[in-house]
Amino acid sequence: MTLLDIDGLKTYYGADDGWVRATDDASLSIERGETVGLVGESGSGKTTLAKSIIRLLPDNAEIVDGSIEFDGTEITELSDKELRRQIRWSEISMIPQNAMNGFDPVYTVGDQIVEVIRHHEDDTSKAEARERGRELFDDLGIDPDRIDDYPHQFSGGMAQRAMIALALALSPSLVLADEPTTALDVVIQDRILETIKEMQEELNSAMIMITHDMSVVSETCDRIAVVYGGRIVELADAETIITNPRHPYTLGLRNAFPDISDDDQELISIPGSPPELVDPGEGCRFAPRCPFAEEECWEVTPQPESYGDGHQVECHRADEIEHLQAEAGKKETWREQDLGDREPVGTADEQAAEAEVRLDD
Amino acid sequence: MGLRAYVVRRCLQLVVTFWAFFTLLFVLFRMMPGDPTSMFIMDGMTPEQREQRIAELGLNEPLHVQYIEYVRQLLTGDFGQSFIYNDPVTSIIVVRFMNTIVLMATALIFAYIIGITFGALMGWWRDSRFERGGIIVTLVARSSPEFWVGIVLLSVFVFWLGWFPSSGMRTTGGELGGGFVARYGSLDFLHHLFLPALTGAIAYLATPTLLMRSTMLDVLNADFIEIKKAEGLPERTVLYKHAARNSILPIVTVAAIATGTAMGGSVVIETVFNWPGMGREMVSAVNNNDYPLAMAAFFLMGSVVIIMNFVADLAYVYLDPRVEYE
Repeated sequence: MTLLDIDGLKTYYGADDGWVRATDDASLSIERGETVGLVGESGSGKTTLAKSIIRLLPDNAEIVDGSIEFDGTEITELSDKELRRQIRWSEISMIPQNAMNGFDPVYTVGDQIVEVIRHHEDDTSKAEARERGRELFDDLGIDPDRIDDYPHQFSGGMAQRAMIALALALSPSLVLADEPTTALDVVIQDRILETIKEMQEELNSAMIMITHDMSVVSETCDRIAVVYGGRIVELADAETIITNPRHPYTLGLRNAFPDISDDDQELISIPGSPPELVDPGEGCRFAPRCPFAEEECWEVTPQPESYGDGHQVECHRADEIEHLQAEAGKKETWREQDLGDREPVGTADEQAAEAEVRLDD
Repeated sequence: MGLRAYVVRRCLQLVVTFWAFFTLLFVLFRMMPGDPTSMFIMDGMTPEQREQRIAELGLNEPLHVQYIEYVRQLLTGDFGQSFIYNDPVTSIIVVRFMNTIVLMATALIFAYIIGITFGALMGWWRDSRFERGGIIVTLVARSSPEFWVGIVLLSVFVFWLGWFPSSGMRTTGGELGGGFVARYGSLDFLHHLFLPALTGAIAYLATPTLLMRSTMLDVLNADFIEIKKAEGLPERTVLYKHAARNSILPIVTVAAIATGTAMGGSVVIETVFNWPGMGREMVSAVNNNDYPLAMAAFFLMGSVVIIMNFVADLAYVYLDPRVEYE
C-alpha cells in the first residue's frame, strides 16, 4: 500500500541570479514499511527532496510545482498549523546527521522526548511520557536511567541512539534519516544501522535514508533512488542498483566506492563537479561529466524510461547497457582530458555555463 | 567535581578577589598626588596646622600601619570619618549608595528585559522591516550620550509636557520615609525615578539587543532548531523555549559587566537629574582628596561589580548544563 506519493515535485531556492532548482521534477512513491535510499553527491538535492516532504525548508525555498500525497493527505496544501498538528513528528519524523547537535543542549534528553510526546498527545501525563522514553531507551540499548542526562554527556553513538528514540517516540509511519551514521565510526555505524532496521520493522515504519555512502544503502535499503542535479536519474531495487545499474552516473558512483571482497579493485572517481542548478536549461545534467554523452544528451532532457520491475532510468543511452557497463569499469573511460575532447558537442551557451562551473571550483 | 565543591571554590575566589581589590584601592589612593590638606593651603593654613591635621588623620603613620588599620576598619564595616564632612562615612554613603542602586537596577532591568525580547525577535524575523528598523533605533540609542538623552527627555516631558518632576528623588517637603519600602515604594518616588531610569535604560539597551540578535542568528542555524520545528512544536515554543533560551547565555556575562559600566554612568545621570546618589558624591570626594569617603564609594561600587560577576558565574551553572566545574 502506498504511503507516500511524490509526483513531479519541484522545490526551488530563490537566489540573486534566478531559481536554484534543487529538486526538479522528482517523482517517487514509497510503500508502508519500506526503506528507500536517496544517494547522491553533496549538493545533488537529496536533502531538499526529503525535507520538502515535511516542508522543512528555509525561507527562500519554495515548492513551486508537484504534489506530495501522504496517506491520502496532500501535504503541499496543508496550512502550517495542520502540518504541525497532523504530519510533523506524529507521522513523519527525522534523524539528523549529527545527533549531538540535534538536541537542544540546555535540556535533558528525557525532557525533550517528553516535550514532543506531550505536545502531540494531550492526554499523556508527564510520567507516562517519561516512562515511554525509558522503554525506548531500553529498546535501543541505552541504560534507561541516562534519560536524565544532558546531550553533551552522551558519546556520539549513544547520542545517535537517543536521537532515534526521539524520532520513534510517536511511532511515525515515515522516518527521514539524513546521513544518520556518517558522523560515526564504522563499527558503531553498523550497529546503529542494525538497530534502526530492527526498530523500523517492529513499528512497520517506512524510511527514507539520505546518504552518499553506497555501502550504507546497499545494506539497509529495499530500493535506491540515485539523485543527480536535482533529478532522480535512476530508481530500482537495491540489488539492481548495485549489480545492474543502467545510468552512467550510477556506474560511476559504484566505481568510487571500495568493495571489500575485491582486492584488485581500483577506485575510480567521477571527474568534474556537480552542476550549477540556476536555470540549467535543456539537456541531461550529467552530460558535462558523462563519458558517454552524445549530441542528443546536450540538447534533450532525458525522461524516465522503464526497464521492468520498477527500474526507471533517465538516460538516452540506457539501452546500450552492456556497452556502458563494460566501458564504465575501465579507468581510462573516466579520464578528465577525455571529457575536454568531446566538448564541442554542446551549444555555445552550454559551454559558457560549463566554463563557469569550472571557474567556481 | 560536584556542584557544591564548585560553589565553595568560587566563594574562596571571591574572598581573594575582594582582598586584591581593596588592597589595590589602598595603594592607588596613597599614590595619588596631594593630600587632604592641599585644598586648604590657599586658605592660609600654616605648616604647623597642616602637620597637626595630617597627624589627626593618621596619615603620618608608616604605610603598613595605615594598611592594617584600613583592613581592620573594613572588616568591621567601618569606613572611617570623612575628612571634609567630619561625619562617619557610613552615614553619608549608605543612603546614597542605595539611591544609586535603585536607580541603576531599574534602568538595567528595563534595558535587559526590553533588549533581550527585541533582540530575540530581531533575530527571529531576520531581514524584515522590524529587524532593519530595530537596528537603526538601537544604534541611535547607543550613540546618544547619556547627558544629551537626559536633557532631551527633560525638555520634552518636564518643561514642555510637564508630566514629570525635573529633579531630585522626592517632592520638597515630602515625608522622608523610614524603611526601604516607604522610601523607594512611594508613588512620589517612582514619579521621580521614571525619567532618570529611562535615560539609563536607553543608554544600556543597545548591548543586550544587538548581542541577543547576533547570538539568535547563530543559534537559529543550529540543527536542533530544525529538529524542534520538525517536531511540530509551535513557533512560539521554538522561539522562546529553545532559540532564545540558548541565546541568553552570553547575555548573562555581559549583564554582569554592564553593571560596572552602569555604576560609572550613574555620575552623569545623577548630575543631569540632580539625583542624590553616590556617583556625584564620589566625584566630589575625589576632588577634595577625601580618602575615606572616596574609598568607601569605590569600594561599594567595585563590590557590586565583583558580586554581580559571582552571581553571573553561579547563574551560568544553572543556565548552561555544559559548564564544567573545573
